[in-house]
Amino acid sequence: MPKGEAMLLEMRNIRKSFSGVEVLRGVDFSLKPGEIHALVGHNGAGKSTLMKVLGGNYADYEGEISLHGDKIRLLSPRKAIDRGIAIIYQDFSLVPDLSVAHNIALGREPRGRLRGTIGHAILRRRSAKEAERLGIRLPMDASVRSLGVGTQQLTEIVRACSREVRVLVMDEPTARLAPAERELLFSTMRRMADEQGVGIVYISHFLDEVCDLSDRITVMRDGLVVATRPGADYTLDTLAELLVGHEITGREASRAAAPTSDASEALGATQLSVADRPPLDLAVAKGQIVGLAGLVGSGRTRLARALIGDVKADGEIRVGGRRVAHVDPERATKAGLSMVPEDRKTLGLALGATVEANIVVSALGKLLSVLGFVKPGSRPRLAEEMIERFVIRPPDRRKIVGNLSGGNAQKVLLARALGSRPVAMILDQPTAGVDIGAKVELHNQILAAAKEGAGIVVISDDLDELLDLSDQVLVMNGGRLTGSYARSDLTRASLLAAISRS
Amino acid sequence: MTTSNDTATDRVTSRHGWQWSSLAAYALPIIFVLLLIIFSLAVPYFATWANFGNVLQRNSIIGIVACGMLLMIITGGFDLSVGAVGAMSSVVAAVVIVQFSMPLGILTALALGLLVGAANGFFIAKIGISPFVTTLATQVLVTGFLFVGTSAQPVYGVPESFTVLGLGRVGPVPIPTIIFAAVALITWGILRFTTLGHYIYIVGGNKAAARLAGINVERVLMTTYALGGFFAAVAGIVLLGQTNIGQPASATDWPLTAIAAVVVGGVPLSGGVGQVWSAVLGTLLLGIIANALNLLGVSPFWQPAVTGAVILVAVGLDSYQRKQRERR
Ligand SMILES: Nc1ncnc2c1ncn2[C@@H]1O[C@H](COP(=O)(O)OP(=O)(O)OP(=O)(O)O)[C@@H](O)[C@H]1O
Ligand SMILES: [Mg+2]
Repeated sequence: MPKGEAMLLEMRNIRKSFSGVEVLRGVDFSLKPGEIHALVGHNGAGKSTLMKVLGGNYADYEGEISLHGDKIRLLSPRKAIDRGIAIIYQDFSLVPDLSVAHNIALGREPRGRLRGTIGHAILRRRSAKEAERLGIRLPMDASVRSLGVGTQQLTEIVRACSREVRVLVMDEPTARLAPAERELLFSTMRRMADEQGVGIVYISHFLDEVCDLSDRITVMRDGLVVATRPGADYTLDTLAELLVGHEITGREASRAAAPTSDASEALGATQLSVADRPPLDLAVAKGQIVGLAGLVGSGRTRLARALIGDVKADGEIRVGGRRVAHVDPERATKAGLSMVPEDRKTLGLALGATVEANIVVSALGKLLSVLGFVKPGSRPRLAEEMIERFVIRPPDRRKIVGNLSGGNAQKVLLARALGSRPVAMILDQPTAGVDIGAKVELHNQILAAAKEGAGIVVISDDLDELLDLSDQVLVMNGGRLTGSYARSDLTRASLLAAISRS
Repeated sequence: MTTSNDTATDRVTSRHGWQWSSLAAYALPIIFVLLLIIFSLAVPYFATWANFGNVLQRNSIIGIVACGMLLMIITGGFDLSVGAVGAMSSVVAAVVIVQFSMPLGILTALALGLLVGAANGFFIAKIGISPFVTTLATQVLVTGFLFVGTSAQPVYGVPESFTVLGLGRVGPVPIPTIIFAAVALITWGILRFTTLGHYIYIVGGNKAAARLAGINVERVLMTTYALGGFFAAVAGIVLLGQTNIGQPASATDWPLTAIAAVVVGGVPLSGGVGQVWSAVLGTLLLGIIANALNLLGVSPFWQPAVTGAVILVAVGLDSYQRKQRERR
């Protein structure tokens, strides 16, 4: 690293442990003004923890931090904010019942006419202007609760970017964004870096994005930095290897021949109409994987929720060939349909419970109990098995799920769905925030489940994932099915075109 | 751009939910008006100014307590010690008034209420004990001190003129009701206009987000509980004005009745949402029902049962509608 160049931020020998376990083991990290510096590493490497230290979340870290050459100690979020450090956390930190405008202004509400009062009108106008400046359109008066995940993410981005920032940290901001929104975000980042000299730390598991975008890349593994080099020095492959620590072994034989058309049906719907949209038909055979592609807001999640009976819909739903009457999540689950929701934090996991409790909950009623009594020893056994199959780190079934790294929490969610051996499964963004090594693992598990005979619907914004997994890809737009393609007829480009066509 | 696509669908859904949600938002006022009409037609003497004055007179105290309770419920907590604080306030005011002077008595009582409230806030925010446990403990603690200090005897000797606060009227309007209205107005102003009020919603909606946004969560909680204690002390003084006796064993039913009034008004205990009119309307709703039963000659023993049923029905309707809306 050239010595003469002035650093905006320097973190030296940072250490942090949780109840005796050292998670950061002496990390050095630096940031230049106007630089986009990517931070990559496997799930649980300590990326988020390092950035939380920078955000003033942990008063008990060891090591040295200096900003503009001044030594500082970051003991509270307020201190970090006052120093111009803004962080978009991996798991959202929005207030669900507040409007978008108020969330954008969170913690820096404009003063009203009197001391101690708030200028609500000023606030709304200012938030709208800030969003507009970034080229992002948001429904300012809607409550955050009513928004989709993508829009929530954009709200969070506007909030962070509209502060007086010198250091901006984005912890996997694109894990839940559609391609067009990503482009928008990248151009915004570039502009902030070039025009305002903001230093940006960018965490992501999309290595191609990282390679394209970053001036420098730091790779972390198990709480240590293994490399910090200019972005141009890496290729996708070297980066992936550094990150996982070994060569990535190819996936198990990719999709075997698609199941014959006479395979019996795992999940089906006829004349299903959701929220006054035109009715649609859907059929997934046993052993088949159907990809559901579309833009954010195209109604994929809503369709998934309708299939499991979580939102009202008219029409017939069949699981394993049998009709499910008056479908609701409980009946659907009993019939053998299980769903992995996209929002793991609020819908998916019991955050305060252990990994074991979360993994076994779906299988409990079916596989693990007799007449309402749990078979002794069966719970830990299933949990251990799943932890091993899904490479959940740390491999401790007693760990509280809320304390897992984001990607590992996602693995727990998938392990739960697959562990209950469902007839049919709906996976909504199954690998959001999962590192490339683990992603291959998860894909293998999904393929294995299909091979065992489950019918699977995969919703994803990641086109490569859809192409890797699916036998058939359905495209949705504005709540209707606008296309159906066999895998063999698709290329990445033709799929992208099909999605973007409206 | 895809964002507009996304927001468009969001709007569509919110438009679909519009009729229901606006109806649900007005469910309580509608029930309230319906009951008013039914009672006026069916219950003798109900629709008289004297009776309305009577209802207001009787329920203003709980209304004052409910306003403070609302603030604490919005932060995601509640306060079981408001009854003990009310009793303490009336006893302490009585003692100081008898020994020294009226203004000093009122001031001391209010200051003590503020103090106990702030102590609640301290244990909840700084130490991290749950609101339930904290306020249960302070309730018992304060009541205990009160019994020790008074040997469980009522305090007599407050001058007759003090009853103006509890029994006086300005024209047809009882003075307690004016105090209630003032407290409600202040609460409304806090929630609507001040930074504190806004932060109360944020802390109740997502504590972690509030902290990460640099909001001083501890201070917000302490202030809220202090306000709750203060309002309870105000109610205690009004109570003294009604009875003229500092009664250490009084006001035991305040906490649960005030919580009932707020939730009947449609405020969920989960925090993050709530408006003043909910607390006011909830108080009055419970008030007119009790009053109608009274006028009909129903045994007072029946009243708790009816109140219980009303809570289940009102809150049940609200929650059920919310659930339906989420499924659309
Ligand atoms: N509050 C906590 N209590 C206990 N352990 C924690 C806590 N927060 C994080 N950890 C542990 O610290 C390690 C690093 O987690 P961190 O969230 O920094 O990973 P990450 O690199 O961001 O991973 P991901 O890519 O999955 O988001 C993990 O093993 C995690 O389980
Ligand atoms: Mg992380």
